[in-house]
Amino acid sequence: METLLPLAILLIVSLLLCVGILAVTQILGPKRPVPMQLSTYECGVKPEGGSHVPFKSSFYLVAVLFLLFDVEAAFFLPWALVYKNSLAEGPALFWALIVYLGLMAIGLFYILRKNILRLN
Amino acid sequence: MVFAIFSVFTLLTAAGVILSRNVIYSALNLVLCFFGLATLYLLWGATFISMIQILIYAGAIVVLFVFVVMLLNFEKPIDQSVKLPLMLLSGAGAWGLAFLLLRVLSKSVGEIPILESNSGASVRTVSKLLFSQYVWPFEVLTIFLLALIVGIYVLAKPEGEEKK
Amino acid sequence: MNGLDFLIAALKAIVILVAVIQVVPVMIYVERKVAALIQDRPGPNRVGPFGLFQPVADALKFLLKEDPIPHYTNRLLYTLAPFLSLLPACLVIAALPIADKAILFGREVTIQIAELDVSLIYILAIGSLGVYGILFGGWASNNKYSLIGSLRSASQMVSYELPLGLAAVGAVMVFGTFSLREMVLQQEGTLLGFLPNWGIFYQPVGFLIFLISSFAETNRLPFDLPETEAELVAGFHTEYGSMKFATFFMAEYMNLATMAGLMTVMYFGGWHLPWITDAALLELLGSQNLLCLVQVLTYIVKVSCFMFLYVLIRWTLPRFRFDQLLSLSWGSLIPLGLLNIIVSATLMYLIGVKQ
Repeated sequence: METLLPLAILLIVSLLLCVGILAVTQILGPKRPVPMQLSTYECGVKPEGGSHVPFKSSFYLVAVLFLLFDVEAAFFLPWALVYKNSLAEGPALFWALIVYLGLMAIGLFYILRKNILRLN
Repeated sequence: MVFAIFSVFTLLTAAGVILSRNVIYSALNLVLCFFGLATLYLLWGATFISMIQILIYAGAIVVLFVFVVMLLNFEKPIDQSVKLPLMLLSGAGAWGLAFLLLRVLSKSVGEIPILESNSGASVRTVSKLLFSQYVWPFEVLTIFLLALIVGIYVLAKPEGEEKK
Repeated sequence: MNGLDFLIAALKAIVILVAVIQVVPVMIYVERKVAALIQDRPGPNRVGPFGLFQPVADALKFLLKEDPIPHYTNRLLYTLAPFLSLLPACLVIAALPIADKAILFGREVTIQIAELDVSLIYILAIGSLGVYGILFGGWASNNKYSLIGSLRSASQMVSYELPLGLAAVGAVMVFGTFSLREMVLQQEGTLLGFLPNWGIFYQPVGFLIFLISSFAETNRLPFDLPETEAELVAGFHTEYGSMKFATFFMAEYMNLATMAGLMTVMYFGGWHLPWITDAALLELLGSQNLLCLVQVLTYIVKVSCFMFLYVLIRWTLPRFRFDQLLSLSWGSLIPLGLLNIIVSATLMYLIGVKQ
């Protein structure tokens, strides 16, 4: 618990910093809003159209694939931790890695070949 | 004491997920809920699981949710008026579940243990267990993820390929 | 837990946080001066001698300007977004080991805010929360260019977290621990007699992957398409004025400092001087606190070298197109990371077998 106390203090101090920055801008800044200033900025021309983006599936696919590979990478971490010391007891972990990495590489290869992310 | 504070925080943010009118506020509450859970794991001495919780849940899954919300413009508040019979039924179901859970938990849990880092849930123990006792589930998981990747490709095929 | 513990904890947290925040004004000046020198012009030279008080002028300007909130935005999100960027940037510095023990008030104090046994994963996890500030900043601005910029930036940050993690896995394999402090402690002395025993000689490819990914993680050129000046105005922070804009920048520079710190800790020996062990230095200097000071200075010099490298590359290389960016990550860096892991594992197995 002693190690977590400075972390808790850091969290509180950062929150105070954020609140402080917000308070300073509210107090110190002038407030003279003008309609032109408050509308959205499109390089000086009048803003047109709604403010929504047409749906591009590649964004969604990047996020989903990142999720899957992040889970796989999260499994690499405990493997890396115990790998060095486990070599004394034989190559079990080495072959576990080969299988695991092989399957992950198949997935990656599949993504790249089928051009799922439109990477041409 | 600290544990109680963080438990209450987690429960409040979890309630916030359901009760928020705006989907993005729900997502933010979900991130805070996962943070609360991660702190609870830390207090139990399971440091590895708490960091992985933040890394994957708060850092990837909710990001995915937010991406979807932004791409599909779900900002409008959802119509929350519900008919009365449905309300009574779901209320009865929820209370029944809560009652069952309390019965089960009160029989098994004594006081809340707060362990140190050398406990059974530390990183090295988890890692060694993962590769000695549970190595086959570990490999099968990868095959499962591979199946997911193929499934995603099938679902999100670019339209041009159907014409070929 | 008595008052002295609390005082030491508070001192550590506040002093290190303030020190990292000081990076921001220094970088503002260094960036503009180096950019000017590269572009063959004088740079800031009016405010104070050699323009050294430029950051002060910038800070005053940011504080005193108006803070407009555009129409039709979601006020809470618009106000919250810059701080969603700043909070992870402030929290992530907790795991970086700056020096070994110092003796304060009769106790040994490690110069690191929180020594978790999973420091590396902590940094990766909190780093992955930096995406939210960008996403909500673009969304809450009610401006389609901001939204496109923020989605692209989020995709980029998310795509480059994977090679970052894979390079880190390589380092974890070599050192056998997640704790950054233990990684630094293992990088003492010499390797093969003539090289300093630093991580980069064990994992050169890993270092390269980490370096490239760190540019992309912090939205820094050559990967700053989401905030390009020519294409999307200023990307996801177009609609932000004064201090909120400055908050985004503070978060960016603090993230840079953290990445630089992480690279020195994992690959360049952290607080160690090359070839010289801590014990030898302690005998030379005599006092533990003096040794701690030397260690802190070494760390600062190493981090400064990386920050200078960041600035140099920003003003030298042209930027990538967005699909080039994604194909670099998914097509080159992730396979390279996997290759690095397999080659390192094989080498470790073969060397282990011989012994």
